[in-house]
Amino acid sequence: MQRYSGFGLVKHALSHHEHWERQWRNPTPKKQYDVIIVGGGGHGLATAYYLAKEHGITNVAVVEKGWLGGGNTARNTTIVRSNYLWDEAAALYEHSMKLWEGLSQDINYNVMFSQRGVLNLGHTLQDMRDIQRRVNANRLNGIDSEVLDADGVQKIVPILDCSKRARYPVMGASWQPRAGVARHDAVAWGYARAADALGVDLLQNTEVTGFKIRDGQVYGVHTNRGDIEAKTIGCVTAGNSGVLAKMAGFRLPLESHPLQALVSEPLKPILDTVVMSNHVHGYISQSDKGDLVIGAGIDGYNGYGQRGSFPTVEHTLQAIVEMFPIFSRVRMNRQWGGIVDTCPDACPILSKTPVKGLFFNCGWGTGGFKATPGSGHVFAASLAKGEMHPIAAPFSIDRFHSGALVDEHGAAGVAH
Amino acid sequence: MFQIYCPYCEELREEEEFHPKGQAHIVRPANPEACSDEEWGDYLFFRDNPRGIHHELWVHAVGCRKFFNVTRHTVSYAILETYKIGEQPSVTAEPAVSESTTSTDDVRQGVRA
Amino acid sequence: MSESALSRVNLFDSRADHASVAVESPLAYSWQRSGAPAPSAASRVVLREQTFLGHLILRGGAIVLDEALREVLDIGLPGRPNTLSWDVSGERSIQWLSPDEWLLIVPGGEAFAVERRLRERLADASFAIVDVSGGQTLLTLEGEAVPELLMKSVVYDVDPSHFPVGKGVNTVFAKATVIVRRSGETRWELVVRRSFADYCYRWLLDAGEEYAIGVER
Ligand SMILES: Cc1cc2nc3c(=O)[nH]c(=O)nc-3n(C[C@H](O)[C@H](O)[C@H](O)COP(=O)(O)OP(=O)(O)OC[C@H]3O[C@@H](n4cnc5c(N)ncnc54)[C@H](O)[C@@H]3O)c2cc1C
Ligand SMILES: [Zn+2]
Repeated sequence: MQRYSGFGLVKHALSHHEHWERQWRNPTPKKQYDVIIVGGGGHGLATAYYLAKEHGITNVAVVEKGWLGGGNTARNTTIVRSNYLWDEAAALYEHSMKLWEGLSQDINYNVMFSQRGVLNLGHTLQDMRDIQRRVNANRLNGIDSEVLDADGVQKIVPILDCSKRARYPVMGASWQPRAGVARHDAVAWGYARAADALGVDLLQNTEVTGFKIRDGQVYGVHTNRGDIEAKTIGCVTAGNSGVLAKMAGFRLPLESHPLQALVSEPLKPILDTVVMSNHVHGYISQSDKGDLVIGAGIDGYNGYGQRGSFPTVEHTLQAIVEMFPIFSRVRMNRQWGGIVDTCPDACPILSKTPVKGLFFNCGWGTGGFKATPGSGHVFAASLAKGEMHPIAAPFSIDRFHSGALVDEHGAAGVAH
Repeated sequence: MFQIYCPYCEELREEEEFHPKGQAHIVRPANPEACSDEEWGDYLFFRDNPRGIHHELWVHAVGCRKFFNVTRHTVSYAILETYKIGEQPSVTAEPAVSESTTSTDDVRQGVRA
Repeated sequence: MSESALSRVNLFDSRADHASVAVESPLAYSWQRSGAPAPSAASRVVLREQTFLGHLILRGGAIVLDEALREVLDIGLPGRPNTLSWDVSGERSIQWLSPDEWLLIVPGGEAFAVERRLRERLADASFAIVDVSGGQTLLTLEGEAVPELLMKSVVYDVDPSHFPVGKGVNTVFAKATVIVRRSGETRWELVVRRSFADYCYRWLLDAGEEYAIGVER
């Protein structure tokens, strides 16, 4: 792999950037691998990378039906934070946060991770009580988290309407300074390039259409490019996980919903942090290109259409204008949707399944981008050892039968 | 944007008047106390979530406020029919393609999550 | 016959006229705060609140309710969805809200007596009557620009060709909900909930400005 560096950039400038090598190969599928990862989104690619890097398992294929990172990874609004309420979730997201902090160096790819802080606004007394509880829990878990009052919020975001005139006046917020945003495509590309360099085959335009299962043990997949065999398979297919589970003969407690986001025309720098409000129901940040990146809730019905409905966009923009009257005349450029796999307790599923050798990593719903490095890291360890990593263990499918749910609806509030 | 035919109002109405309420025809176990953890968990949390034809419950929240059923395609979003509570769908899915492509040597023993 | 049924409900006259408490319509606050532009020759929409009418919600089977209503008020229950009908005087109306629910509106002061007589007549049938007079109010909108005004406000198709006289629907109005009804060629009605009343009123003034909306008091 050609290392990226400042010098490299200068060197390639001399030849008009015409001689960069391809970021990854385009291999023909082998008949057999040690591990197959289904789904070439951020989580799948990170899993493949850590399998190769940390566990020396390099005979790995990532099977992706479209192009790498073309799923929710390339459609999300890139908020990264770890201020979740329960110990199990906090451990998972904080593990991820720590990996984010060294990620660009680790994979030699600038993922533009920017720790510009995230505010979760409170607009009611109950919001503030919940915020206090969550912040206290975060601190006990060693996660940087503070409670701010309205003045404190106003200092960080002067353009936010913190006046008493607002329909839902801002009473305060939780503030996580280490939180922020990253460049979503770069995360997928960076992991892809690093995994490829370690020998992982990235198979694009290869759709899994069924599983090969014998005596309750998986031994391969059917694809549109022929069968590929492996005794360990990790399914990391976000909104399509229910479809894949059905192919393997079981059900998941998931619903696939459209989640949409939109961006404005580019503006000069005006918002240097991330503002989220569960109550007014919207969130916003500004990308390095200058567009305002906006999102909010899922459409309530199940859908695989990768497009959202108009009432939902309207509702989202009303929330943004309510919080930021200054944006009321900004024009929106693009709007799109992803398919998010929502789980009843707003936590992911990292689990073995009734089929031996077949593991699932899904259920991240509206908020899994922030977990990309951590999810890949613990899932790779689980695939390598055949046993769930301790951080992943609480997120087994069994919890929906045992009742040991990890309810993060509060912290996951406005879909992000 | 949906226009949904409410079987009680007997006309097409705008999406904003409705709320979706998830999978339809889920039968509550007659005797919850007698359920195993598996059965109760399946009832509470496990849903069909098909990529294709889906029977779902909607409520005409800002109209007649009645619940009713919708058969809808989850990829094209086409609404194939709406029908009253207590009625059965007339449009149903063909056996899913994915099932037929799974190898014949599959044994589905103990396959339930 | 009706003693048993009657004795199970706590029936009382909810109108405060008799007491020394001043009655206030849901729009009392708005009149003071948001003003009321007087109608002029240019007004293509004129708004008026029909204050203190009696609003009763009737629930039950269509057949029994229909019989009772014919007997008590001489109006037939509209059986078709999204329709309403009036008695000969035009002062009393009954509107289909859902397959087992109707809204009966009678002149102010009548609700208590009508409810009592309906209860007596319905006796042991399965039904419910709730007096919601204090919870909502009726606004009339008169003028040729009313459909245009409504088109900006509700999601329902109010084109007169789709919304004949005698139609009434519950629908989304701006960010609230209202009942929209058409009671004449150029006369429409909105049934507005008390908690949304000021919001809807101000919305109407704002949306109606281009039609020189006037308020008759
Ligand atoms: C609009 C929107 C905003 C969001 N905002 C945020 C946010 O601000 N912060 C945050 O943390 N999270 C956010 N999320 C959630 C986040 O995007 C996801 O949780 C995360 O990206 C999931 O990554 P993944 O790799 O698991 O899934 P994906 O990136 O969706 O990858 C799954 C891949 O599987 C492939 N696949 C599916 N079926 C098959 C098959 N049969 N064979 C082969 N391949 C298959 C798909 O093509 C896809 O590429 C948002 C999501 C959306 C849609
Ligand atoms: Zn209806």
